[in-house]
Amino acid sequence: MSMPATPHSGFPSRKTPVRRRLFLALTGEYFWFYALLLPSILVLIGVILIPMVFAFQMSLGNTNIVVIGGKGSIQSQWVGFQNYLSLFASPLFWQAFRETVYFWFVSIVIEVTLGIGLAVLMNQKFWGRKVFRLIVFIPWAIPTVVNSMLWGMIFDGDNYGALNDLMLRLHLISTQIVWLNPMPVLTQVPWLSNTLSYLGANTAMNAIIVGDEWKTLPIVAVLVLAGLQTIPHEYYEAARVEGASGWTQFRRVTLPLLGPILTVVLILRTMQLLRAFTMIFNLEQFGLPLLSIQAYQQAFSFGSFGTGSAISFMIGIIALLIAFVYIKQLYKGEM
Amino acid sequence: MLKNVAINLSALALLAGSILGTPMAQAATAHQSPAKPIVLKVLYMNQAGYTTQVLRQMAAGFHQEYPNVTVQFTFLPYGNMHSAILTSAAAPNAQYDVVLSDLIWTGEFAQRGYTIPLNSYIDADIKNAAQIPGSVWDGFKIGGRIMAMPFLANFQNFYYNKKLLAEAGFKSGPTTMAQWLHQMEVLKAKKIVQYPYEDSWTQAEGLVCDYVRTAGEFGNGNLFNAQGKPVMNQGPALQALEWMHMLYAKGLANPNSLTADEPTAANAFASGQAAFNTNWTFVTGIMNDKTESKIVGDGVVATFPVAPGTNPMTHSASISGFQGLAIPANTPAAMRPWAWKWIQFATSPKVQAQHLHSQWPVWSTVASSAAEKRLNPAWKVYEENLNAVYNRPAVANYLQVSSIIQQYVHEAIAGTLPVKQAADDMVQQIEALK
Repeated sequence: MSMPATPHSGFPSRKTPVRRRLFLALTGEYFWFYALLLPSILVLIGVILIPMVFAFQMSLGNTNIVVIGGKGSIQSQWVGFQNYLSLFASPLFWQAFRETVYFWFVSIVIEVTLGIGLAVLMNQKFWGRKVFRLIVFIPWAIPTVVNSMLWGMIFDGDNYGALNDLMLRLHLISTQIVWLNPMPVLTQVPWLSNTLSYLGANTAMNAIIVGDEWKTLPIVAVLVLAGLQTIPHEYYEAARVEGASGWTQFRRVTLPLLGPILTVVLILRTMQLLRAFTMIFNLEQFGLPLLSIQAYQQAFSFGSFGTGSAISFMIGIIALLIAFVYIKQLYKGEM
Repeated sequence: MLKNVAINLSALALLAGSILGTPMAQAATAHQSPAKPIVLKVLYMNQAGYTTQVLRQMAAGFHQEYPNVTVQFTFLPYGNMHSAILTSAAAPNAQYDVVLSDLIWTGEFAQRGYTIPLNSYIDADIKNAAQIPGSVWDGFKIGGRIMAMPFLANFQNFYYNKKLLAEAGFKSGPTTMAQWLHQMEVLKAKKIVQYPYEDSWTQAEGLVCDYVRTAGEFGNGNLFNAQGKPVMNQGPALQALEWMHMLYAKGLANPNSLTADEPTAANAFASGQAAFNTNWTFVTGIMNDKTESKIVGDGVVATFPVAPGTNPMTHSASISGFQGLAIPANTPAAMRPWAWKWIQFATSPKVQAQHLHSQWPVWSTVASSAAEKRLNPAWKVYEENLNAVYNRPAVANYLQVSSIIQQYVHEAIAGTLPVKQAADDMVQQIEALK
């Protein structure tokens, strides 16, 4: 068995005819290279590519489940981009879009600011640092369903809900608040309240963001911490010699060098936030119609698999666009 | 040529399949256990109705009668049942041979052909069908086709705490809406309870049930008129919305109702926190169970208060939550006789009579039996409420309609939309559905 020491050297070039490249792959010294890659490629094709193509095909059709002659199947009647056009014309879709963007934006802002702060703190040398790091990481280890139930009990609208109980005891509120009911916020300032409601803000949404952040903030902090630990100390020493304050060091040294890891974090979390489902569905069912909830409702409740698939693809496209902006920003100086 | 041969063969196969599927063809095997052991897959919920333990007891009884048939259950929360049936219908062969079917899915399943009509089985094997109330059968009938065999006769009762009412100076529960309102106001004014009433108004199917029932209490729980037009913005349906909002706005209903489901509302009542609860029959068991209730002996099951002139025959108005057992259309032909045998067994008066402590039976003969009267002193109230049920709209796109109702009723109660506007928007959205 001959394994290439440097797989990129001596590869058939793009100018090599396809048949020749295929022949070399099957018979040449790269046979094992391709043979070992094959299982992963097959798995990717099987669990990602084929379902994606199938889902896209469904999104272009009036897709229904039918049972004919005692056999069930999925039947799709081609309608082109009608499902997408219907979505754009639907006020419900735009409401879901705004709520999804609100959920993503507020969550990302919290994660980036608190995540970096927490990571910087964990990067300092202090007594009990290891224990502190361990404690910070615990919420991430809790299953999402359990986390949903936990926050459901904290936000319970009755007097015995943990948050209501605490706030009543501290005389911060005079009567219980139904945190998980989607009510407008800041109603004392009507124009602001109306604007925020239009953008998707309400008590239930904010409560869910808090519960979700409690669980996901640790992973952001740990990833940022990993990035922080790759920054050489010499840079900070040089900055100090130049008379840079702590804030200047953070702004001029830390933040720019965290760029690549922050981009990874932002892309990863954006994808997760745009398709967030478990906690929202567990606590609100269809009461907070974010795009992911709408996709599920259309497909599995209404049986409109075409519309459900179209919404799922819209989520994917939005995630791609946002990721594109992140990457563009990261390489701005180099492009 | 080849195409014609294929069509002819398909037609022959279909013909053979349909002949094999008739009860006559099954009769040969129906009275004996199958030659080889088979596993019958059954989808049931683990939320209400018969408990999983009772279901397993039933399955053990069936296994005794048919030793080669083993019933294998999949228990899911109610909220996941519909999507499980839907995805199972997409497979060439059904994942479940028998499914628990809610009456609200009857129209959809019939129109889309997800489950098979059971008329031929019922005609052949159910000799005393008239002993199941017509209101129960109606929940599973569409265009003369019976899409499920009634299994759970679930409906709502009116519950009140007589001790709390006595503290407020009332000797009995309310019989009219005005009396009910007065009692709630007195209970609140005397600070006997902070919120006299708690209901399940979270944005889910339970909210539609409460809305239909409240409209029924005001005279008519039909949300669509005879021409199939939605009428939520007029008459009793509009009065019901105004009533529900008023209870919330005046602090007579616990604001937590907006996020509460049925078990949450039941627990609030059983803990003595609320004086009134309108809920499914399972509350009777909870309020009398020392391990779950602080009001044992104080909870009363009653007929619903109604507006003057409403339902002179029944003097109540309730909501149906009937569920039946159905056979998916893609259950293999060989399994269908055994699927039906299980349905026949589980829904039989004999088996239902063995589990009276767990569930109100669908058979009127069992419901009025001495055993039921002994077990359930409120059996007469049960009967009256059962006879006063309204069904939720029987439309093929029910889940879409329900989703719109849930959204706007919730907004009307919470006051995020004025009641009339919410009602008008609801009607407009439903009419806009394809």
